[in-house]
Amino acid sequence: MKQDVRNDSIVGAVMVVGGGIAGIQTSLDLAEAGYKVYLVENKSAIGGHMAQLDKTFPTNDCAMCIVSPKLVDCGRHRNIELLVDSDVMGVRGEAGDFTVRVRTRPRYIDLDKCTGCGDCADVCPVVIPGLFDEGLAVRRAAYKLYPQAVPNAYAIEKLGIAPCRDACPAGQRAQGYIALIREGRYDDALRVIKEDNPFPGICGRICNHRCEDACNRGKLDDPVNIRALKRFVTDKVYAQPRVPPEPVERKYEERVAIIGAGPCGLSAAQDLCMLGYETTVFEALPVAGGMLRVGVPEYRLPSSIVDREVQDIVGKGVELRLNTTVDNLDDVFDEGFDAVLIAVGAHEGIRLPIPGADLGGVLINTTFLRDVRLGDPPELGERVTVIGAGDVAMDVARTAVRLGADVHVYYRRTREEATADVEEMHHAEEEGVVFHWQVTPVEVVGNGDGRMRGLTCVRTEQGLPDETGRRRPVPIPDSEHFVPCDNVIFSVGQRAGLAFIPESAGVGVTRRQTIAINPNTLAATRPGVFAAGDATTGTAFVIEAVASGHRAAESIHRYLRGEELEPAPKPELPVVELTQAEIEQRVELGEVQVQPRVPMEAVPAAERISSFEEVMAGYTDEQAQAEAARCLACGICSECLSCVYTCQADAIEHNVVERIQDIDAGAVVLAPGYEAYQAEQAAEYGWGRYPNVVTALQLERLLSASGPTHGHVQRPSDGQVPKKIAFLQCVGSRDQTHDYCSAVCCMYATKEAIMAIEHEPNTEVHVFMMDMRAFSKGYYEYYRRAQERYGIQYTRCRISYVREDPRTRNLILRYVSDPFSHSSGEVVEEEFDLVVLSVGMEISEEVRELGRRLGVELDEHGFCRTLAFEPLQTSRQGIFAVGPFREPKDIPESVVEASGAAAAAGGILSPARWTCTEEAVYPPERDIAEEEPRIGVFVCHCGSNIGGFLDVPAVATYASRLPGVVHAEHNLYTCSQDSIQHITERTRELGLNRVVVASCTPLTHEPLFQDSVRQAGLNPGMFQMANIRNQCSWVHSDNWEAATGKAKDLVHMAVAKALRLEPLHKTEVPVQKAVLVIGGGVAGMTAALNLADQGFPIHLVERAQRLGGNLRNVRALVDVRSGAEASVTSESQGVLASAERDFTVSRFESDKPETGLVWRDPQEFLLHLVERVTAHPGITVHLQSEFLESSGFAGSFTSRLRGPDGESEIRHGATIVATGGVEYRGPEYGYGTDSRILTQQEFESWLAEEDDVPDSVVMILCVGPAERFCSRICCTTAIKNTLALKRLNPQAQITVIYRDIRTYGFKERLYNEARRQGVLFVQYDFDRKPEVRVSDTDVSDLSSGEPESHLEVTVWEPSLRQELVLKPDLLVLSMPVVPPEGAGELATRLKVPVDLDGFFLEAHVKLRPVDFSSDGVFMAGMAHYPKFLDETIVQAQAAAARAMTIVGKDVLEVGGIVAQVDAEKCVACLTCVRVCPYDVPQVRAEFNGIGGIVGAAYIEPAQCHGCGICVSECPAKAIQLLHYRDAQVEAEVEALLERVDLEPIGEI
Amino acid sequence: MANEEVSMSERGDGASDGFEPEITVFTCIYCAYMAVDTAGALRIKYPANIKLVKLPCTGKTDVRYLLEAFEQGADGVCVVGCPIGNCHHVDGNKRGLARVTYTKKLLDEIGVGGDRLEMYFVSGGMGMTFASAVREMTERVGELGPSPLRRLGD
Repeated sequence: MKQDVRNDSIVGAVMVVGGGIAGIQTSLDLAEAGYKVYLVENKSAIGGHMAQLDKTFPTNDCAMCIVSPKLVDCGRHRNIELLVDSDVMGVRGEAGDFTVRVRTRPRYIDLDKCTGCGDCADVCPVVIPGLFDEGLAVRRAAYKLYPQAVPNAYAIEKLGIAPCRDACPAGQRAQGYIALIREGRYDDALRVIKEDNPFPGICGRICNHRCEDACNRGKLDDPVNIRALKRFVTDKVYAQPRVPPEPVERKYEERVAIIGAGPCGLSAAQDLCMLGYETTVFEALPVAGGMLRVGVPEYRLPSSIVDREVQDIVGKGVELRLNTTVDNLDDVFDEGFDAVLIAVGAHEGIRLPIPGADLGGVLINTTFLRDVRLGDPPELGERVTVIGAGDVAMDVARTAVRLGADVHVYYRRTREEATADVEEMHHAEEEGVVFHWQVTPVEVVGNGDGRMRGLTCVRTEQGLPDETGRRRPVPIPDSEHFVPCDNVIFSVGQRAGLAFIPESAGVGVTRRQTIAINPNTLAATRPGVFAAGDATTGTAFVIEAVASGHRAAESIHRYLRGEELEPAPKPELPVVELTQAEIEQRVELGEVQVQPRVPMEAVPAAERISSFEEVMAGYTDEQAQAEAARCLACGICSECLSCVYTCQADAIEHNVVERIQDIDAGAVVLAPGYEAYQAEQAAEYGWGRYPNVVTALQLERLLSASGPTHGHVQRPSDGQVPKKIAFLQCVGSRDQTHDYCSAVCCMYATKEAIMAIEHEPNTEVHVFMMDMRAFSKGYYEYYRRAQERYGIQYTRCRISYVREDPRTRNLILRYVSDPFSHSSGEVVEEEFDLVVLSVGMEISEEVRELGRRLGVELDEHGFCRTLAFEPLQTSRQGIFAVGPFREPKDIPESVVEASGAAAAAGGILSPARWTCTEEAVYPPERDIAEEEPRIGVFVCHCGSNIGGFLDVPAVATYASRLPGVVHAEHNLYTCSQDSIQHITERTRELGLNRVVVASCTPLTHEPLFQDSVRQAGLNPGMFQMANIRNQCSWVHSDNWEAATGKAKDLVHMAVAKALRLEPLHKTEVPVQKAVLVIGGGVAGMTAALNLADQGFPIHLVERAQRLGGNLRNVRALVDVRSGAEASVTSESQGVLASAERDFTVSRFESDKPETGLVWRDPQEFLLHLVERVTAHPGITVHLQSEFLESSGFAGSFTSRLRGPDGESEIRHGATIVATGGVEYRGPEYGYGTDSRILTQQEFESWLAEEDDVPDSVVMILCVGPAERFCSRICCTTAIKNTLALKRLNPQAQITVIYRDIRTYGFKERLYNEARRQGVLFVQYDFDRKPEVRVSDTDVSDLSSGEPESHLEVTVWEPSLRQELVLKPDLLVLSMPVVPPEGAGELATRLKVPVDLDGFFLEAHVKLRPVDFSSDGVFMAGMAHYPKFLDETIVQAQAAAARAMTIVGKDVLEVGGIVAQVDAEKCVACLTCVRVCPYDVPQVRAEFNGIGGIVGAAYIEPAQCHGCGICVSECPAKAIQLLHYRDAQVEAEVEALLERVDLEPIGEI
Repeated sequence: MANEEVSMSERGDGASDGFEPEITVFTCIYCAYMAVDTAGALRIKYPANIKLVKLPCTGKTDVRYLLEAFEQGADGVCVVGCPIGNCHHVDGNKRGLARVTYTKKLLDEIGVGGDRLEMYFVSGGMGMTFASAVREMTERVGELGPSPLRRLGD
């Protein structure tokens, strides 16, 4: 796609979306090349899937060990801004000048303050399945994603408000105290309740528990018995001696009066007191607590509880004036109060307006209950009638029972319409109360002396609904009847007694006899007067009174502070409503068991009617914890605030909300990664049902030293070590719904199998697969090692289902045995201890949504579509896609693409380099010249990588006793971000002037630690490492003592050298901006163009007469266009298609559209490329030229070339090696003896050019060296050629004789298509190779050229189990790609290594796939390994990006470890001049040598490579190499061999 | 595989007669050091008496260092560098080899025995080769018995 970008508006920043290894690599490359990077990650830490992995194939490197330095670099890089917990919402603008909208979800922990100490997680009571451990372990709601997480900070996971809290008027954090009860932390639980409610003991008994009605658990079985749990906590805590609360200090001058000491008034009083106001509560009665104390009977709510909770409020400093009736509001203001809260409740009972209602013996509910509670019960007759069926009526009836009466309840409506709690009615009936439904009194009948003798009642029936929605009771005519009774107690409602508010008080009263208020502010009509509770609403429940009291207090506070009375709207979190399906899924996964609520004991009715003792017994500890364990933890974080009270750093902030920001960026790189196939979708394998069926990612966690089992593979069902493990391949790949191969599963399964055996050497592993896709560098060797060294068995069979033996929980598989083995082709049933599902890659719904939001084109599976010849370019210019988001792929390819994307972005943004970046700042270096050595030693456990195999604390103890050591310690992961900082801090605090880290290899970790000592003001030369992992624990894992002893020796050696260290100073040298590219194929040209477009001069060296390389032999490219994502509009879908229209292959243009095949002509593309390269003013093309040699160093090389016009010399800052590969041509299968035996490349040309199209073709794959290594592209090339032939001749008979078909990724679609078109595939084994004969004559004797001779290919067909004899027109051999002639020679001249097969060897297979171990030299294309065109283009871009990290800078720091001449010893013998491989030393006249003779050697530090060859050769010992001075090396040797027996002084 | 490694390492340790030869290995920081790392990454076991001293290049190998190691009590010394032709400093490994060859003669002359010193060449991926080399050296020195210098010292 053409990049038209206006220079003046370009933003020198890039938004990278996704913090996995690809996103990390892109970010690092871009940041080093001069761009500001915003790295957006939706999890709480970067690291992606790689951080979850145990090891990586094929080197078995610890994934964490190799990714960790990159994580740390990324986290520390001054030009990378991490935006974790964030999503990209949309992108506006165009390439070069985008505005990206990023939403950051609240983390609830301040990243700047969090120290990563983990205290919050220690106290967090919420336990949920840990997703990082794939659900195999639990974690807390406050968590760090993994130990080495970057940023090294905790996060709190909060989905929203639990429905229990949402339903509670007072917002009780029920989920929080329930979780704390489950953990037995009762004091904390009570603290949580009291945060929102001063009356837990009361509410734990009489609350109407709306929380329970809302509880999601009710959708499964019963709601959690929240009220009982609340009561349980108070019972537990109140049984302990009471600790009086601390009085609260007064903060404000103002005084507040509260009228009424009920739950509302007291709640408000406590709040205001806590805010710092002097608060006085006026109460008319002799006791505080309002209705709680005088309305609710003792048997439901003991007075001791009420008194206790009132005391806790008074104890904080609230003044309580009992027996104090407020007659007039003005009196209160006159006393000097600044605000008044009226919270008088509704204590006046209502007498029904019927005749006789004032007769003797007629009682009112509130008065009756109050008199009983205050110890003055009225005389009751034998038979008592209660009118009404609300909760108060039940209290009245049951109280009357306890006073000895025969109690009847009359209610004008039905039982179903009664408002009393069902349980209360039930208890009343148990106690002998008789209910009469649909009966209402019309008159109290007197006996003539002013006392009643009974009631006249009528029956009712249900009429039309009234305003409450209930049906109105209508009297039935002629149903009047007499009910004899001694007392009637009206319990038909209560209202506030408002006599103390005269009209002149200025406080309005409503018609319903409640105080008129503004419902938002609770302010009454008179300024300074507020009203709350039942006095404003009519009767309600205690929890509402509490809630109302809180609101009143807030409002009064605002009033007194002169603020706006209306509260500011608060951000609202969503209420977490779990759906039935979600709950069922949790049951299925075994996270939740169906279990009804734990019942609570009640005192038997017969006993309880004779006393006012409490009826309900409460829970025991066991019952309470069992009931608490039923909570579903809906909101995840319960806001119990335990973390807030614990965090020393004050980092926790529960009220933050999401943040949306718009960020300017010139380009966007999408690296959102994949998600593993959801194994539960493949129900036939039983994942989720059978505990011993795990996914490969779960096994990774089981294998990982930092995983849930600390690296011990255990069966989930019983913790036993599995002796027999089966891997089922292609789960979620290569099936009906996935037409692609996930490309990594074969190798990761092999790796996991090897690791399982490494852990438990006698484990039997059996892998069931379709093909072994070991297609990359070193993979085939790895696969072979798995079979030969580890005895892993591979069977080509797709398992159709898994059965479980319910007794042993073992798993039973049926399969057909390998036809090539002895037991060929039988159906076998075999039992395994553990089955591992090798789940494939999918694109998550979130990532698809991201694609839609950004308007980039996706396919039907959600993979991002990109251009064929610009493989990273999405359908939207300036937005690039890398990693599995494009196509399933493994780590090195993702890393290559990541670097490639950095180059692609650089191609747009280069005018704005270094415009958005900042410079590195280190503290000034401390001068330690005069200091005694003060060495600090840090010994790393590396999880259990070191600590599991040798005694790390003992090594640290030993180190602490060594001379010069003033500090020694051991750390879990010394390279984690917190440890790195810790080293800096300890270095500063303890005044260390030398630091030794004993951990892993300095090749990866030394710069990291050097930087941390630099941050402490030390010269990086004052750092030394001991590699006790690679050299001790990993290789002596069978000998704890020896490994420990050796580790001590290595530390001793490092310390001995540290004693003699000296600062190393670096010099800045200007960078040569040119880049030398060796090889003029696609890789070389692509890299050259990218760098030239960015303004760097290029020397492109090509051996041949013209550019083009291997691509000249590729005549057609094909892929299968998958379906588009549903949301892709036809308009946007056209973007990619139109960009590629130029490259259609005319010969195949007429391919039927239904095949989905898209043919492209690479020659068209090549032509364009060559034209652009040739015309580019920044590129000097050296044709027919050869690279001779190179000297210099990264940033400043001098190379010699030999061309047609002789030798020339060029200076350049970096070198890219792109010398390609060639098709092997060997004598195998008669190649070279018959013109009808072709290679694939020859056949491809044939198809492109010849008119003679064959009718039958046999192809043999894996020929010659391909038996030793997989040449990666041959399977796909062969299939491409079958499709091309089918296109030209649909009737052609094609047989492909293959070993494994390795059509990885989307290439699988071609394989499917070939089979669909009738291409026959026959498998063979290297032990049973096909045989080729020509006619009846010997293959070698064909010179006579018999016209009737024919080719004959014999192959054993495994499923038919017989020989096939094929007589094709042509035999096509898939010969592998091998390094071109002279590659080894070139490697020697470049001083770079090659692998066993002659391909160039990268610095690290996984994470430095285009780098050589020598700085400044990079590789691309087939020089590295056989690869496809798109892979080559990307790798070339990657090499360009890597070169940019050097030539993009103006100066490089060089020097440091360099040789220095002591002129006074120099005899100017020229030995150094002669031996230096880089011609650096010179004998200069301005120096005087030994004895003052004129002329002594001088070595330019900027040029010195620090090899030390001159040092060893110098006969006068006049040269020393810094950091490797003789004294330093000899000290190491001495220390290594010195037998030091230091008595341990105890653990440190 | 693991079993095989263990048995070889046991043999290499010379456990039969209780003598565990102390072997000092000088490696360059390129191929050789990487091979040692690879051996570790692949968990290829070798005897624990193999202890490494890092040099920037085997061209930095000084006769003094080799002799110093014997003097301090090593029973055997190895120098491990990049494969010939792949030296990161062109031909530093050849210079190293020349010094090793020279030192072997010296050792023969002074009665320590040149067989106690050997040079190996490995590339970064050759962890297995490195392990075999040092195992072989351990076996060889195990058969030679403790260094006469060490016996003197004791």
